[in-house]
Amino acid sequence: MVLELHVWGPAFSLPSIDPQCLATIAYFSLAVPKDAWVLVASSDPSVSPTNELPALKNGPTWVSQFRNIVDYLRQYSDGAWDLDSNLNALETADNTAFSSFLESRAQPLIDLSLYVSSQNYWQCTSPAYGDLLQWPNQWLLPPRIHSAAKARTAHLGLSALDLDAMEDQRKRDHSAAVAAGKIPANFIQRPRDTVSKLLGRTSHQSQFRLEALTGELFEPLEAMLGEKDHLLTADRPTSLDCLATGYLALALVPELTFPWLRDAMQSKAHGLTTYTQRMCHKCYGTAAVKVADAYPSLSPSPSPSHLPWQTPERARLATVGYTLLNSLADNTPILSSIRAQNRLRQAVESSKADLSDVEREALAKHATGMKKDVLVSVAAAVGGVVALLGYMVQTGFFSPEDEEEYVEEEYEEEPFVIDAGEAPDAFGVMGL
Amino acid sequence: MTSDNHDTPGQAPPTAPVTRARDYFRVPAPIKRVFDQFPLVTYSPNELPQSAWASQHGNRLFVFADPGSARRGRPSFNPQCLKWQAYLKFVGIDFDLVPSTNHASPTGALPFLLPAHPVGGNTPIPSGKLQKWAIEQVHCEEEQQLNLRFEVYASLLDNRLRNAWLYTLYLDAANFNAVARRIYVEPSTTNGLVRAALSAQLQQAARDELLKTAEYIDASALEAGAGEALEALATLLGDDQHFFGRPHPGLFDASVFAYTHLILDERMGWKHNRLGQLLQQHENLVQHRERLLKFF
Repeated sequence: MVLELHVWGPAFSLPSIDPQCLATIAYFSLAVPKDAWVLVASSDPSVSPTNELPALKNGPTWVSQFRNIVDYLRQYSDGAWDLDSNLNALETADNTAFSSFLESRAQPLIDLSLYVSSQNYWQCTSPAYGDLLQWPNQWLLPPRIHSAAKARTAHLGLSALDLDAMEDQRKRDHSAAVAAGKIPANFIQRPRDTVSKLLGRTSHQSQFRLEALTGELFEPLEAMLGEKDHLLTADRPTSLDCLATGYLALALVPELTFPWLRDAMQSKAHGLTTYTQRMCHKCYGTAAVKVADAYPSLSPSPSPSHLPWQTPERARLATVGYTLLNSLADNTPILSSIRAQNRLRQAVESSKADLSDVEREALAKHATGMKKDVLVSVAAAVGGVVALLGYMVQTGFFSPEDEEEYVEEEYEEEPFVIDAGEAPDAFGVMGL
Repeated sequence: MTSDNHDTPGQAPPTAPVTRARDYFRVPAPIKRVFDQFPLVTYSPNELPQSAWASQHGNRLFVFADPGSARRGRPSFNPQCLKWQAYLKFVGIDFDLVPSTNHASPTGALPFLLPAHPVGGNTPIPSGKLQKWAIEQVHCEEEQQLNLRFEVYASLLDNRLRNAWLYTLYLDAANFNAVARRIYVEPSTTNGLVRAALSAQLQQAARDELLKTAEYIDASALEAGAGEALEALATLLGDDQHFFGRPHPGLFDASVFAYTHLILDERMGWKHNRLGQLLQQHENLVQHRERLLKFF
């Protein structure tokens, strides 16, 4: 049985655009014999029942996420394909801790570099997605990934990297000034921010924050690496090395318009930079990976590749329709929250892990209960509107025989109310 | 406010085409009537609350706690608050606990501290700056600088253990009803509707937080992650009294204690305590928690 590893496709001359996929590919190329697995650049999370990539398919079984895949490989091969088998207790603890550290510190930096920095996103990342996705996913997935990356990094307060957010903020300030009546609307000059002006300010303002963030990531790793060939042990790579390769390759390799992350890495962590290059060559081959490499059966003369690529199945009409329906549902306000509840429920019902039956049943029941909550909130909203209308009828705001009169009155009095009456009064209240 | 305006002289009557165009954009009369009545009354600003806590003159740490245990200095039931409460106790700073909520905090999150002798205005100190303040007060050492592994192992607490905690407390229905509803929701109001809304908000916030890093909330993966994290922490502690072989407990001990104490605390009233089972496998972490509990 050949294992199929489904990943996001190649970009930036790396075999995948996603750090977790890169880490999994590195693990496979180091641990699993080359004839026992194939790499499928399906680039569509809906191929896997968990809606996540990387996903490993072995017959009917699907496993997703780097950690779960590593665990599954260990069980499947009875410990033969396990890079972490020779570690002692302290090294195992370090392996766990540094893995968690990498995932939590490197992910936001990669989000900032590839997605939140507008000029990088629009000039490099977005075109890369355009090359590797098929219709209609190329229109649906990148905006979703983009906004997820923004949400993950919102707490860092670095929205200055994001030109869209800057523009929104400027508009808000502008309309606030108009609303406060400080300046008559006609006199407010539209500040003309050119992109280059914004960039100049961006890189100065955010520089200190980025310095701190990159230092926090690279310094412990550089100290851990020391003079060794690998992060934990001198002689052989571990799963931590694969994870580090995945994340650091995306920091180092892509040619970006605004390469602050690569600059920081090269200036702060020389050892880590050469280590990442060495690991990339070892895991992904020395030649730059092109998008065409991922589809060997489509190209007339497939170039020999370091990785066992297999051409993904072409999307069928049913799949395309399903994708379109799904994204429509995800963008409908009430439906989307019902679907969010389902994500929890499906995860519970499909889990084969060591949850006891009672626990699993309770969780499924809980998720179903949450669905009822959504329906209750819909009912509450409808009830509220009905109550407001009822109140208005009861206090006589709608009185059919007077309707005509009101309209007449409004006709006459509106210019007065707007021009002469309300505005000065409102300013009086605000003390202006 | 409109009564005087009807008689304002000197306004030229609008020309007909303008009025007709405006007609389409006009607010319907009944709705306009409703909004014309606002604001009904403008109240003067509220007085600052005069509670028993305001008369104290020591350092005041604002945490999630019920008033009874706050008066006796018992551990808070919120891991973030407990971490800083324990840290200040360990380094030997005296303070009074004040039960509070997020709405009271200038940053929107608890804990924060009002120092007895404020430096530069009466500014509250948010949790992010508490360590710096404590170092200035008692000249304890900044532990992050002493060991390379501090930040690395702290990420286990801030991610794997915290995610499992969020799941266990907020998304596990039995625990949410037995624990979170009792400690966070019920003290704030007696109104059933508001309680239901607050509960829904809490759970939604936890769910959003977990979905930020994964497409699915996979309970078994979260528990496995927490299990690995506890195992790594137990290995790091080894046979030492405190983390990193220090003679006195410090910030890292406080961070670990904040979770281990609440997981093992019987008064929390857990219904499903999978984290507790995982933690019981590591005898040294359990003893570490018992040693530190003597400070309270």
